[in-house]
Amino acid sequence: MSVNLASARLWRGFPQAILACVAVVAVAFMLPSEGYYLNILMQAVTYAIAVSGLVVVLGYCGQISIAQAAFFGLGAYGVAIGMVDYHLGFFPAWLCGIGAAGLLGVVLGLGSLRLGGHYLAMVTISFQQILTLFLTNWLEFTHGPDGIRGIPRPRLGPISFEGGHAFLALCMVTLVIVTLAVWRLKTGRLGRAMQAVRDNELAAGTCGINVFATKVIAFGLSAVLGGIGGGLFAGGFQYISPDQFSFGESIVLLTMALLGGVQSPFGSLIGTMVLIILPEWLRFLKEVYLAVYGAAVILIMVFLPDGLWGLMLERVRKRAKPILGDVPKLPLLSQTGAARTDFVLTIEGLAKHFGGLKALDGISLAVRRGSVHALIGPNGSGKSTFINVITGLYKPTAGRVVFAGQDITHVPPYERNRAGLARTFQNIRVFRGMTVLENVMVGAERPGNDVAENPAFVVERALAALDFVGLRGDAHREVGALSYGHQRYVEIARALAATPQMLLLDEPAAGLNLTEKHELGELLKRLKGHGLTILIIDHDMKLVEQVADHITVLNFGKRIADGMPKDVLNHPDVIAAYLGEPQEAAGAAS
Amino acid sequence: MAIFLQLLFTGLGIGAIYALVALGFVLLIRAASVVNFAQGQFAMVGAYMLVVCLNVLGLPYLLSMAISVVLMAVFGVIFAGATYWPLRHRGGLPVIISTIGASIFLENIVLFLYGPSPEVLPGLFDSPGIQVGQVFMDSQYLSILVAATLLVVLQYFIFEKTLLGKKLQATSQDKEMASLLGIPVAAMILFTFSYSAMLGGIAGMLVAPVLFVSVGMGGLIALKAFAANIIGGYGSIPGAILGGLALGVAETMGAAYISVPYKDAFAFAMLLMFLAVRPQGLFGEKISEKA
Amino acid sequence: MILSRRSVLVGTAIAAATPLRFARGEDTIKIGGIAPITGPAAEAGKFMQNGAAMALEKINGAGGVLGKKLEWVVEDDATTNPGAVLGFSRLVSRGDCVAYTGSIRSTQVQAIAPDVLKAAKPVMFGGTNPGLTQTGNPWLFRTRPNDNYSARVIADYGVNTLKKTKWVIIHSTDAFGTGGKDALVANLSKLGITPVLVQGYSNQQTDFTPVVLAVKQANPDVVSSYFTFENDLGIFARQLRQLGVTVPWVGSPSIINTTALNLAGRALFGTYGIADFTPDASPEATAYATEYVKRYKANPDNQSTWLYDALLILANAINTAKSTDPQEIRKAILAVKGFKGTEGTYNFDEKGDGLRGYNVVKNVNGKIVFDKRIEFTD
Repeated sequence: MSVNLASARLWRGFPQAILACVAVVAVAFMLPSEGYYLNILMQAVTYAIAVSGLVVVLGYCGQISIAQAAFFGLGAYGVAIGMVDYHLGFFPAWLCGIGAAGLLGVVLGLGSLRLGGHYLAMVTISFQQILTLFLTNWLEFTHGPDGIRGIPRPRLGPISFEGGHAFLALCMVTLVIVTLAVWRLKTGRLGRAMQAVRDNELAAGTCGINVFATKVIAFGLSAVLGGIGGGLFAGGFQYISPDQFSFGESIVLLTMALLGGVQSPFGSLIGTMVLIILPEWLRFLKEVYLAVYGAAVILIMVFLPDGLWGLMLERVRKRAKPILGDVPKLPLLSQTGAARTDFVLTIEGLAKHFGGLKALDGISLAVRRGSVHALIGPNGSGKSTFINVITGLYKPTAGRVVFAGQDITHVPPYERNRAGLARTFQNIRVFRGMTVLENVMVGAERPGNDVAENPAFVVERALAALDFVGLRGDAHREVGALSYGHQRYVEIARALAATPQMLLLDEPAAGLNLTEKHELGELLKRLKGHGLTILIIDHDMKLVEQVADHITVLNFGKRIADGMPKDVLNHPDVIAAYLGEPQEAAGAAS
Repeated sequence: MAIFLQLLFTGLGIGAIYALVALGFVLLIRAASVVNFAQGQFAMVGAYMLVVCLNVLGLPYLLSMAISVVLMAVFGVIFAGATYWPLRHRGGLPVIISTIGASIFLENIVLFLYGPSPEVLPGLFDSPGIQVGQVFMDSQYLSILVAATLLVVLQYFIFEKTLLGKKLQATSQDKEMASLLGIPVAAMILFTFSYSAMLGGIAGMLVAPVLFVSVGMGGLIALKAFAANIIGGYGSIPGAILGGLALGVAETMGAAYISVPYKDAFAFAMLLMFLAVRPQGLFGEKISEKA
Repeated sequence: MILSRRSVLVGTAIAAATPLRFARGEDTIKIGGIAPITGPAAEAGKFMQNGAAMALEKINGAGGVLGKKLEWVVEDDATTNPGAVLGFSRLVSRGDCVAYTGSIRSTQVQAIAPDVLKAAKPVMFGGTNPGLTQTGNPWLFRTRPNDNYSARVIADYGVNTLKKTKWVIIHSTDAFGTGGKDALVANLSKLGITPVLVQGYSNQQTDFTPVVLAVKQANPDVVSSYFTFENDLGIFARQLRQLGVTVPWVGSPSIINTTALNLAGRALFGTYGIADFTPDASPEATAYATEYVKRYKANPDNQSTWLYDALLILANAINTAKSTDPQEIRKAILAVKGFKGTEGTYNFDEKGDGLRGYNVVKNVNGKIVFDKRIEFTD
């Protein structure tokens, strides 16, 4: 029996979307002609498209944007200026607007996404304000504060969208398509990469994800969706002016996304509808309703962290079922190979200084292909710094790192992963917003992995890795629901699914109880002898003794011993480094 | 030259306003890692409290100010309880959004209670200002500059020379460690909110005679103040002051010598420039990725 | 202010709300109207409701229209353009309004114009952008003088009465300010004058020193202005005086509105303003002002008078037409000649403009004194 997963199906969601298209077109044409309902729906639908952009950038990728109204405005102005001044057709003008929004989004992203949250908030606010000033003051191009009126609606061959109903139908069909695309994005490779970045940037980087590029793409996509909505808005209302795309509107769009639930396009859709209809319910409040609205925003944040959609899902959530079916074993396990004589990793004179502190002070080291190499040393000896430099999280002050014949000293973390270097973290870094399976899939689909291009194979590989660590039965669960020890196994499975040449384990026994430590030892033994090189850092001498072929000892950033386990562990300097304490006691320290 | 000096004086005056509001921002960033988007509304609420004391209750000026400052301190605690406390374990973004919600709430509740027409407040001094050579110095701008200086000195004294200040610093650096040392972390954070609200309120009261009192008075000032914060160095106290002054001067000069309608763009353009070239700001520490 | 100013969308949707009614009855003739109940112009919205209430009382006291009582149904526009569109379309979908009143804001009128065309019923509005009645939309009628006339009156008064030639124009870069500035420049050039300085600014400024210094350097003998928000006007006025510019100042109507007078105080003493409504300008205006003060303990301004006149003209037109058929009402409005309203004497032209003149008033120590009325026939 082979595994057949919904997430791997190519046409997933298409039948529903086609049904939805037919339904919305019918609804659009059944509305009372010209008037309030048409206008309010036109507004809700075009806004909802822009809000789904926030789902991508904020919900999936975790980056805040307070400029969605600006991108919405760029789309609208593209259509308005293109059609009124340059006499383009609606669709080419729309494309211009979307292009402008996307381009500016990418440029803005390139400039600011290396910085964190509040900076991005401020940059997007600045962009929003500057755009408003330009729309208002650049009379020759934007028509200034008067805005642009008389924006025509399109005709496509024999179909005319000039009537209110037909145009609304166009808007709604676009919304259905956008919602489908955004929904499918979430369970696709790019969407998983975005969520990985959101949940843990460092871990995402070491899983082969180009964090910066992923953020820029998310930001650009979000801007494009803003532009799509804005273009339709211009056609829908046939009049636009700068004040419709102000900072305040951006806040409104953001609130819509958060209210509905920023994790899903259905959530943002609900949020948009509610915030457009809510004032109807609040009509008795008259002048205070904006105050009530402000208070409602706070209450939503406090009581509805996942928005209305999250609340609904909680009510109706079906128990996810374990994923059954046999999958091929990890390819690693069908190989055999003892430690060889050639070196897979060579480190020369590696140094890392933090100000005056020499965390690593000229370390040289070589790891034989297929061996299990342990790196030990007391607290503060520089072990963690060492692994962070090797995986590219820290830039070395001096020295050279050669991996599989390639100098990777100045290569970013995701490139190192793609070259075959996978790692786990001392303080566990799993992607908390995702399931166990999805976590491991992120590892399996690193660019360059043999299965990466085929979604079905990715699932199989991830399940195989989970089989290996014994977590197959938990594949469907939220990773946060697992015990600490099992989360560590998820990290190991994630690393193994990427078919690495070398696995770096950063204190894998830290925080585990005795039983778990024992299991870990067994797991490492099962990994041995298949040609995979393992570099393990730990305090736990028992574990290290069990599995290591070779041990290097660090102290105060220097290498103090290197060689076969029993030689090294009896080395007087090593004993001295552990302050003369018995080895068991040293091993228990963490 | 006379024109340049006049612009410089005005720029510094405006800059001092930004600096005062920015100071309130910095404290919350340091103590609670909170970016408070309602900081401008603190200024607005403070100014309205003064209007009520002065114009409605008819109390003397300084007494009115004192009462308003005390009320702001209480207000700060309530604000913290509503927008920060329930969300404190959920990271930065939810708090940002809830303070945005609070800013909408505050503007509109004041609009509802007080009505939309702007109010006038008299300045601290009867004289509109003094003529020094060819430069006219508005007395209220002078008051703002003096008050900003005094508050910075006071803040320095509190933070560096008192036990309270040490506790506050410890809290802002490492909450877990501070709490292990027996520092009441929660109280320290509430105190910071309270103090920040007082600062915001004082800023509002001082600018009221210049900008009038309206529900919208705080919004744009706060955005500029936040920009000042980043230009000066995120979370740096001297950075907030210098960033504010620099922004005020740059904006005024930019308006005079480049373009008036694009005046508000200068602040934000300057901010974008800093983020591109020197994201750590004038006084900030170099931003590095954490492993 | 940024958060709520003009924009909050929910604001737009409150268009759906607010069933305020000024006359109740089983069988009334309804006129729909949009007004800023919320948002930054909420105060103006209050004035409008006052004016409408007074108009309805007068109309219904004199027998109503076609034997029925007249009712004004208002929807909030939240002071935003989308709000105006939603508010107006909501009024239209009620289906029971025979005519409508629009906004005093030109961009809002622009925004609802396509829907007005579709609704095909008369809409009275107060926006002063001259272009609004030039687009061939047959359903728009203006009960205020348009900006061509405000600019023409400012130019005429400054050049012919005050005898000034070195002009400075300060204007907001929003729709209202830019439109006014363009008209003023055009009218001055007809009188052979090129301004020595034309300076725009963005709304909601904290400081006007750069502008004032530019004015000072230009060394004008008269300052003219189109300010939108009173806060800006107040700050500019105070700094202008502080930095020693004392030349005459002729401003657009905002310079004499109550809020501006309150904010700027002494700094506006001695300035000239133009007003579409002045209590002393005509017996109708005086009567309205007296009644308004008596009822609301506040001074009336043009925020309420344009609507008051609009409703009276509509009632008059429906009675003349003896029908609520939109075409008939339209014809009756266009036929209005010599109708004495609070804002002046209405003579509608075929485009839908009713007024062609302004009052010039002077601020004498904080009191607004009627100076002269300048009216044109073309």
